[in-house]
Amino acid sequence: MSINNFSKVVIVAKDEWRYWLRSKLAMTVLAIGLLLTLSSVVVTAITMLELSHDRHELQSNAEQSFVDQPDRHPHRMVHYGHYAFRTPSPLSTLDPGIDAYTGNSIFLEGHRQNSAMFADQRQGTALTKLGSLTPAFIVQTLAPLLLILIGYSSISRERESQTLSYLLAQGTSGITLITGKGLALLSVVGLVIAPLAISALFTVSAGESLLAVASFVVGYALYLTVWVLLILLASSVFSKNSGSFTALAFVWILLCIVMPRVASTSASTAVPSAGKIETDFAVKAELRKLGDGHNTNDPAFKQFKQSLLKKYNVNSIDELPVNFRGLVASESEAKQANVLNQFAELRMQSELKQTQVSRYFGWVSPMVAIRSLSMIVVGTSIETHHRFLRETEQLRFDFVQGLNKIHIEELDYKDDMNRNANAAATKKARVSAQNWQILQDFNFNVDSADVRAQRSVPAFLQLLLWIVVLVGGIKFLGKRLL
Amino acid sequence: MSYLITQLMREWGFLLRQKYVVVLLLCSLVLSGFAIYSGLSEISTQQQTIERLKVADQSDRAIVHKKQSDAGMLAYYSFHLTYSQPSNLAFAALGERDIFPWKHRINLLALEGQIYESDAQNAELAQAGKIDFVFVISALAPMVIILLFHDLFASERTSGRHDLLVTTAKSYFALWGARITVRFVAIIVCLMLPFFVGGFIAGASAYEVAYVSLLCIVYLAFWTALSVWWGKNATSAPRVASSLIGLWVLFAFIIPILGDLAINKSVHSPKGGDIMLTQREAVNDAWDLPKSATMQPFIIEYPALAPYIDMKSEFEWKWYYAFQQMGDLKAAELSEAYRDAAAKKYELAGFVSWVSPPLLLQRSLTRTANTDSIAAYAYEQQIRDYHQQLREFYYPWLFYKGDPTKAALENMPLFENTTQSSN
Repeated sequence: MSINNFSKVVIVAKDEWRYWLRSKLAMTVLAIGLLLTLSSVVVTAITMLELSHDRHELQSNAEQSFVDQPDRHPHRMVHYGHYAFRTPSPLSTLDPGIDAYTGNSIFLEGHRQNSAMFADQRQGTALTKLGSLTPAFIVQTLAPLLLILIGYSSISRERESQTLSYLLAQGTSGITLITGKGLALLSVVGLVIAPLAISALFTVSAGESLLAVASFVVGYALYLTVWVLLILLASSVFSKNSGSFTALAFVWILLCIVMPRVASTSASTAVPSAGKIETDFAVKAELRKLGDGHNTNDPAFKQFKQSLLKKYNVNSIDELPVNFRGLVASESEAKQANVLNQFAELRMQSELKQTQVSRYFGWVSPMVAIRSLSMIVVGTSIETHHRFLRETEQLRFDFVQGLNKIHIEELDYKDDMNRNANAAATKKARVSAQNWQILQDFNFNVDSADVRAQRSVPAFLQLLLWIVVLVGGIKFLGKRLL
Repeated sequence: MSYLITQLMREWGFLLRQKYVVVLLLCSLVLSGFAIYSGLSEISTQQQTIERLKVADQSDRAIVHKKQSDAGMLAYYSFHLTYSQPSNLAFAALGERDIFPWKHRINLLALEGQIYESDAQNAELAQAGKIDFVFVISALAPMVIILLFHDLFASERTSGRHDLLVTTAKSYFALWGARITVRFVAIIVCLMLPFFVGGFIAGASAYEVAYVSLLCIVYLAFWTALSVWWGKNATSAPRVASSLIGLWVLFAFIIPILGDLAINKSVHSPKGGDIMLTQREAVNDAWDLPKSATMQPFIIEYPALAPYIDMKSEFEWKWYYAFQQMGDLKAAELSEAYRDAAAKKYELAGFVSWVSPPLLLQRSLTRTANTDSIAAYAYEQQIRDYHQQLREFYYPWLFYKGDPTKAALENMPLFENTTQSSN
């Protein structure tokens, strides 16, 4: 594009701004848009900071109260259990994603894998079924509508008031005109994204990587660009303002309101996944085969017993230098964890498959694409939740086996077997509270920025494809405007 | 009469010749159909799941009963299924069933430690939300109506026919009335037809279907009247539509979001985690406390068991389950406050919904279909009641009757779900 053409584009864009500044509607819409984005950024940031603070505190409280427990039988501590809390990632102040749906704390205990609990939605008002005041929702859903309200008439207006033929006759090419109008709309996009970009940059100081911040901001810029292009296209195709408006409003409903739901409904129909309770039956059946780790006489441990006797070269379990009950507990915990993890893995795989299906809808709706892009980059997508589940399982297994190790090494087998005889015997079957120092500090970190960026590639491609197709369509139309 | 029919027939013809109107109507039909179809399939999945669970639950317990004979072990290893059957109308209003659990298995341990476990669906899908009939009517239909009615007058004005039409028409109704009626009836038919089919398949009663239809039609009439009235004197159709869409955004998004914010700030609820923590501390502390510290408060609740609280060894199941129950009792106050806060929030949301028609419709329909949080908490109460029944069944065996016979196990209370239908 020559300099001359470029200055023409700028003139067109300036002229469009002049028109908006005079129009009450455009100004109102712009003001509302900015207000909504700003307030959502502030409100969500405050909420997430509070949550983050709360969870750090709860985590250290949980660790403290574990350590503060009195002298006990080590297996009591296995059942006393421990809590893990998921601290939100810095960027999640902009898109809390699935945080409110998964719950963010998990109770860890022996022999069980609990689900995350206390999802905020269960204390909800049911008012936010359609959307909530998060920057992600505002920019994904409402910003396109605002752009439509401002821009639907950008070209059809010239046509309706018959200024289009003048403009074209005076040597302004169709492409220049459309580019100019597009530039004006893109400057609005810049305005809407600015609060988002600035608060995203702030998260760098909280440890977020620049790559994630950049992907996040670029993702939203691409998304709103798709809408600018859609608006330009509709405005050039329709001869009347009302036609262009109706078409755009309709497309908005379909792409922003209907498609995400069609995507999730189709995904859950296409890949049915058995609920936790239902899988639990299969899990229980498998676990039953392993025997009860509380019961040393369970026939399931016969072979284990034999191999132990052989290993230590003794004739009876009384002669073992270590506590047989503890060994059984440890052995059975390991086997159980194995089974539990197999099923948990299956479940996560099927959830991922479902999510994948719903993400394919990004090819037909840019809204679905930006939704997944945003959650993935921010670290509030299902993958991050799975990571949380895996890490907490590791934490669970480590502290339970740590306690079992204490059970094996620190507690005499005879004392242990005798523990219920009388109060004195119960007291004897305890270990010192000093042993409770086995907890590892739990700090949940989302996946590295590289991994998140890699995951978001398909969504970026989806948005880019939209842009390529739309630019092609506009180029084609721009040549034959009138 | 025949005059009326000619007017309507003429407008019907006009309507069918307008391409974008036909597209809008067809899309409404398809969306409503998809919503009903997916609602029906979701509900049938839920029902099948419940049936499968019932069978699995029984055989699972049968295995436990065969393997264990000790009363305490039986209670420890026997899990009991509870469930909340979807109502006949649930297909149209899936409501909160994707967030609140509708199936749960419990054993005799402290309930507060179990009841918050959720068997939730894929969180990312739940976050996107599902399409159901209520969503189509409350959120989408207003947009379709706005697009259908906003340019009723403006389009004739801009094409210069308006004044001619008004002066030549026989009456106001002959022109605008017939046009409005035809469009209104067409959109109602497109939106509601799939619902009637769905209602028939799901076996909803005529009364329920009629009630829901009435609510929906009143709601749609409200939007139609608003769109027509707003567009009466306007010359620019897009300007009418943008204000109407603005109103829709206000009703559907802004008011609910602000209401939610205000309610969450004003209602203080104990943290869910604190309930669990209290219960867990109480249960774990009990191991180290003198037995009487558990048994004395326990027999205040169960005076009939007072003669049987003496213990022969340091561990007996009756004491174990007694301190489980005392753990629940310690957490009871928090747990009630938690539920009260939720109820309070729901109640306040009711006030907000009076200024947001889409919310009002959603609330009324999910209430009718028994899929809202009230229904979810009623189900939670049923679980609590059932858990109490189980305690009352087991306690005599644990305290004085010894191990139950296989025949006695037959009399174990079974969970019965009573929320088939509301009202």
